[in-house]
Amino acid sequence: MKTVQEPRPAGQGIRQSMSDLHTWVGLLLGWVLYAMFLTGTVAYFKDELSQWMRPELAHQTELPDQAVVAQRIADELGTVAPGSPQWSMRLPDGRNNSVYAFWRTATGTPGQRGFGEANFDPATGQKVTARDTLGGDFFYRFHFQFHYMPVIWGRWIAGVAAMFMLVAIVSGVITHKKIFVDFFTFRWGKGQRSWLDAHNAVSVFGLPFHFMITYTGLVTLMALYMPWGEQAAFKTPAERQQLNAELSAFIQPGKPSGQAAPLASVEAMVRQAQERWGRDNVGRVTATHPGDAAARVAVARGEAGRVSMSPQYLEFEGTTGRLLAVHEGVGAAAETRGVLYALHLGRFSDSVTRWLYFLVSLAGTAMVGTGLVMWIVKRRQKLPDPERPHVGFHIVERLNIVTIAGLSVAMTGFLWANRLLPQDLVARANWEIHVFFIVWLLTLAHAVLRPAKKAWVEQLWAATALLALLPILNAVTTQRPLWHSLVEGDWVFAGTDLMCWVLAGLHAALAIRTARHRPKLRSTRKPSREPVTTSATLRKGEA
Amino acid sequence: MSHPLSFMLCLAGFTALAFAMDRQQHDLIGRSLPASVTRALRIAGACALLLALGVLVAWQGWGLGLVMFSGHTSLTAGIVHVTLIGSARVYARASKH
Amino acid sequence: MISVAGRVRNVGPLLSRIAAALFGGYALAALASVAVLALPMSKPQAVLTGMLASFAIYAGAVIWVFAVRSALRAWTGLLVVAAPLLLAAWSVW
Repeated sequence: MKTVQEPRPAGQGIRQSMSDLHTWVGLLLGWVLYAMFLTGTVAYFKDELSQWMRPELAHQTELPDQAVVAQRIADELGTVAPGSPQWSMRLPDGRNNSVYAFWRTATGTPGQRGFGEANFDPATGQKVTARDTLGGDFFYRFHFQFHYMPVIWGRWIAGVAAMFMLVAIVSGVITHKKIFVDFFTFRWGKGQRSWLDAHNAVSVFGLPFHFMITYTGLVTLMALYMPWGEQAAFKTPAERQQLNAELSAFIQPGKPSGQAAPLASVEAMVRQAQERWGRDNVGRVTATHPGDAAARVAVARGEAGRVSMSPQYLEFEGTTGRLLAVHEGVGAAAETRGVLYALHLGRFSDSVTRWLYFLVSLAGTAMVGTGLVMWIVKRRQKLPDPERPHVGFHIVERLNIVTIAGLSVAMTGFLWANRLLPQDLVARANWEIHVFFIVWLLTLAHAVLRPAKKAWVEQLWAATALLALLPILNAVTTQRPLWHSLVEGDWVFAGTDLMCWVLAGLHAALAIRTARHRPKLRSTRKPSREPVTTSATLRKGEA
Repeated sequence: MSHPLSFMLCLAGFTALAFAMDRQQHDLIGRSLPASVTRALRIAGACALLLALGVLVAWQGWGLGLVMFSGHTSLTAGIVHVTLIGSARVYARASKH
Repeated sequence: MISVAGRVRNVGPLLSRIAAALFGGYALAALASVAVLALPMSKPQAVLTGMLASFAIYAGAVIWVFAVRSALRAWTGLLVVAAPLLLAAWSVW
């Protein structure tokens, strides 16, 4: 407030107000952003995590022929969802060993939900009998729509948070004037200044990624956040359909003819797609009004190897299997949107690029985390009485503990629940999620009841223990212990187990550093020469 | 082989760029390097990074190439930074005894 | 003790800027996303262009609001940009 209307030199003024903007925009939704960043980071491996969470599904040693699988599942869907006006399946690829399909339920069955969904075994075509779990998709969905609330609310919260993030990034860059001079600067053991250097390092090294991921995150749901142009431009559903065709390979069911006619060979249709895009690069098969004379089938290209989510698909006449149209290009703006969307999801990645995504995204998580901690470190020095901080300080400090240390405990708790909950529990998948939130609530209670530093250390050790013991729990409760998966070359299981230990090491290191840390308080140190008010003046003093 | 190659190029590039910075020269060597050496290091570093970009773009095209380049640069900059911190710590400890 | 009037004078401009950033910025971005429809391009492409650019405009507006010297100037800047956009949007709504 002090800075609002004081006359001051222009350059300094802008940097100061941008610094304030950065601080408060970053803090206000920082906890939400941290949770979004961390769950989003983990979601880059959601398919692998889903495999790990369904240990009953065998390790896929070689990819099945997608054309054969498509036919098998199409036949099965004919019996599972008879008379459905539309079904759609995602074919197995290098990262998925099951076929996820959903369908609209036939009309004229009142009291039923409009959609059904299931995972199918590509080898048998039967519904998978693995334990009921949402798998890695829980983190994926939580990342942009949270839980226990209507998805639209969650998506709006995520959108507001992403917008705050965007403003925080831009204002942070303006504040940090010596971005290249300070590039490799780290001043060890200097309290607030070390935190600032760490925050700068993780932010600046990953800056292209952080900016990209924030902007593209907004783009993934832009039709929700900015519907005004669409509403002004399109008055009829037919016009709106024009737009949808630019965005998605889903073909919408038209009017059925009412005449029954069997679906032609789906296998043959997928074969044509394979010739065009490669044997393992068919993504999705969608059919409208299968079993009716007006049936249509769309076979879409997979996501590997092209940085775009723009629809590319072959459209077939369902009853004859005749190729009706090849959809391969969209308009410039739609293609831009497709590229940005793909950049966010990163599904085109080979495994090295996926790891790069994961690591830089983890740096983004650290960016938010160090920023949150810095708010506390900066203000602790100015507290009149460090033993009894004001209520705002107290709340931020506790929320930091719950968000940063507590979330690790809760996320690992979710994986423990996956192994420990009884197989026949009703609504088991939901209970895994309830466990996640119950554990998170417990860390909140713990953080409120314990002194701050003890709470940090204890929760970090709890996360360490849970992560370190998870591979052992896996060995005890499944047929696929680490030594077994290493011998088999099952890198999804071995990788997950080993990653648990790496992350346990990371949490242990953080716990040890925190336990050793002695915060520098005003009473224990000489009065500083330069006023420690903002990062901008701080850097000025350093120059 | 393009991933390890561009990774090494980025690592070399950032190492050269780090040694071209005054603060790092003082931390690691204890003095400033001559201006000509600093300039040579800066050019060599920039060239190594550009070469890494070239390798990735030639391999995967601009879209995927730029994405991979961004990942490699972020990771290697982080590695160089952590190494610098580590060596400065070792140096500080050694000079204390 | 600070009088109520004094407090308003202190906090008022800040609240005004926050409102300008949150709501003014969104309104400007929304307006721009409609105004794009006046450009000579097909409707689906124009709609998507407007959506894609809107977040950059929103972020730019927020930075502007907090970068300038006074709350009044912040609002004036937003209105100056909004006026031509409003004309363009009016022609296509």
